[in-house]
Amino acid sequence: MTGIPLPAVHRPGPRSWLELLICELKMVVRDTAGLIVPIGLPMLILVMSASSAGRQEIANGRTALDVYVLPLVFTMILATTGIINMPSFLAYYRRSGILRRLAVTPASPAMVLVAQVAVGVLQTSIGVAAAWALASLVFDANPPVHLAAAFGVLALATAAMYAVGMIVAALAPTPNSAVAIGLASFFAVGALGGMFGNRESLPDALAAIGESLPFGASVQALSAAWTGAAVQPVHLISLTAAILIGGAVSAALFRWE
Amino acid sequence: MSSSSAVEADGLHKRYGSTVAVDDVSLSIASGEVFGILGRNGAGKSTTVELIAGLRRADRGTVRVLGLDPWQDRARLRQVLGVQLQSSHLHSALTVTELVRLFRAFYRDPLGTDELIESVGLTDSRSVRFERLSGGQQQRLSIALTLAGRPRVVILDELTTGLDPEARRHMWSTVASLRDSGVTALLVSHAMEEIERLCDRVALLDAGRVVALDSPSGLISRVGFSRRVTFRVAEAVPVGLLEKLDGVDQVRADNGRVVVEGRGDLLQTVSVALVRAGVVATETRSEQATLDDAFLALTGRRPDHHEDVSR
Repeated sequence: MTGIPLPAVHRPGPRSWLELLICELKMVVRDTAGLIVPIGLPMLILVMSASSAGRQEIANGRTALDVYVLPLVFTMILATTGIINMPSFLAYYRRSGILRRLAVTPASPAMVLVAQVAVGVLQTSIGVAAAWALASLVFDANPPVHLAAAFGVLALATAAMYAVGMIVAALAPTPNSAVAIGLASFFAVGALGGMFGNRESLPDALAAIGESLPFGASVQALSAAWTGAAVQPVHLISLTAAILIGGAVSAALFRWE
Repeated sequence: MSSSSAVEADGLHKRYGSTVAVDDVSLSIASGEVFGILGRNGAGKSTTVELIAGLRRADRGTVRVLGLDPWQDRARLRQVLGVQLQSSHLHSALTVTELVRLFRAFYRDPLGTDELIESVGLTDSRSVRFERLSGGQQQRLSIALTLAGRPRVVILDELTTGLDPEARRHMWSTVASLRDSGVTALLVSHAMEEIERLCDRVALLDAGRVVALDSPSGLISRVGFSRRVTFRVAEAVPVGLLEKLDGVDQVRADNGRVVVEGRGDLLQTVSVALVRAGVVATETRSEQATLDDAFLALTGRRPDHHEDVSR
């Protein structure tokens, strides 16, 4: 092989990451229908329940809007993006051969995964910021008593929802089934976590399960941060467990093609 | 094992479950050569290419592309190997320009965005989203992305499948200009004309094995005849008469359609004999042996002639 000099090692640099990020962002923004559920649905719930809940004080000058509605709305934004949207993108990328196509370039298909997560985090941040702006400007919502705790829980819950989404992406054989499995998982953890009304009206066993699943745990922990109560360890443990289990399951089962 | 070979595959084996897809395939492609892999669907073409591209790992055997192991030296090789996969899609909502920009960003020394788009004739469609391009345009874009990093070796899997004749000729001239610039090309195809026109050498794969490896004309010369004359007759076919003629190797008759294979000025020989026997022949055609015939002679079956390739 003396006739041919060996090519130099060259891994994709910051510019390729940036290009990929921009491309993933454009894909998400141009998928208009995909933006309605994660941004529109939580906003709708906020608007429908905000005015009555805003007058009901619970503790520390915080109203039902602050303590119950906002944690639910924020959690819905994280869950819809992580559990429904992200897996459907990945399933589409896999089905259409995009991941395979990238695998023969210097880019690794794992870059797509990272870019999708980054865009998802951006999308949820925008969703949370928009919901917060609406709640505080129009409905006089109050900031959480423990601001740092609220941010910490939001970050942890985002990671937990993506971990659940990665399980969906790993298990779903087609883009359609990814949406179906994602929606079903979302409604399951949502219903048990209090999305359709008080968790107290659920049988005790179901309520307990719901509280230890990521959706319920996120709502409870955010709620505690808002009232100024201590965030219960069981909720943090359940969110962390979701991240670890999701990571392990998807690492074992995720297929690039 | 010449020092200038760009691709060396040695004793490749790959099985999926109980199916042996690739069975002891060895290839050596010289630097600057346009090398074809020909075979029916399921012959092991795509798997062979995937092993060479490092998309799959062989059960046994070794691959070197520009001296690199595609699996171990992935980062190094990807900069200089361009691969166009059969029927793969791209981000549906991104435009031609956006996709070209994205793929360029992966390489150290890429070709210019406009230059790439121009080279595959997509300048007028550069703001069109991938999902709104025609099949032929998508294929051309895919080629542009394959060439984005100035590859020294390209693998083109079913380059012109699904393209209209004009787009096909455009692709052929693209390959020809790649050859002129010294790029080594591995072409997978079941389009005989394409292989015959473009390739320096061809490996014919059947049931996961290389059954022949030669230049296109070398393969054709193995057919055993060089010319074929076909015609129709209304009356009884004079098979016995034709078989005795000088230069005739074989005569087949089917429902009044007669096929004579042989050598020399076969048309003249057959025509004179038919006139002498008072047989009226219609729809007479004379043709040279083609790669199709070589395929048949070497594998015992006709190649696939459908356009849609299902994996």
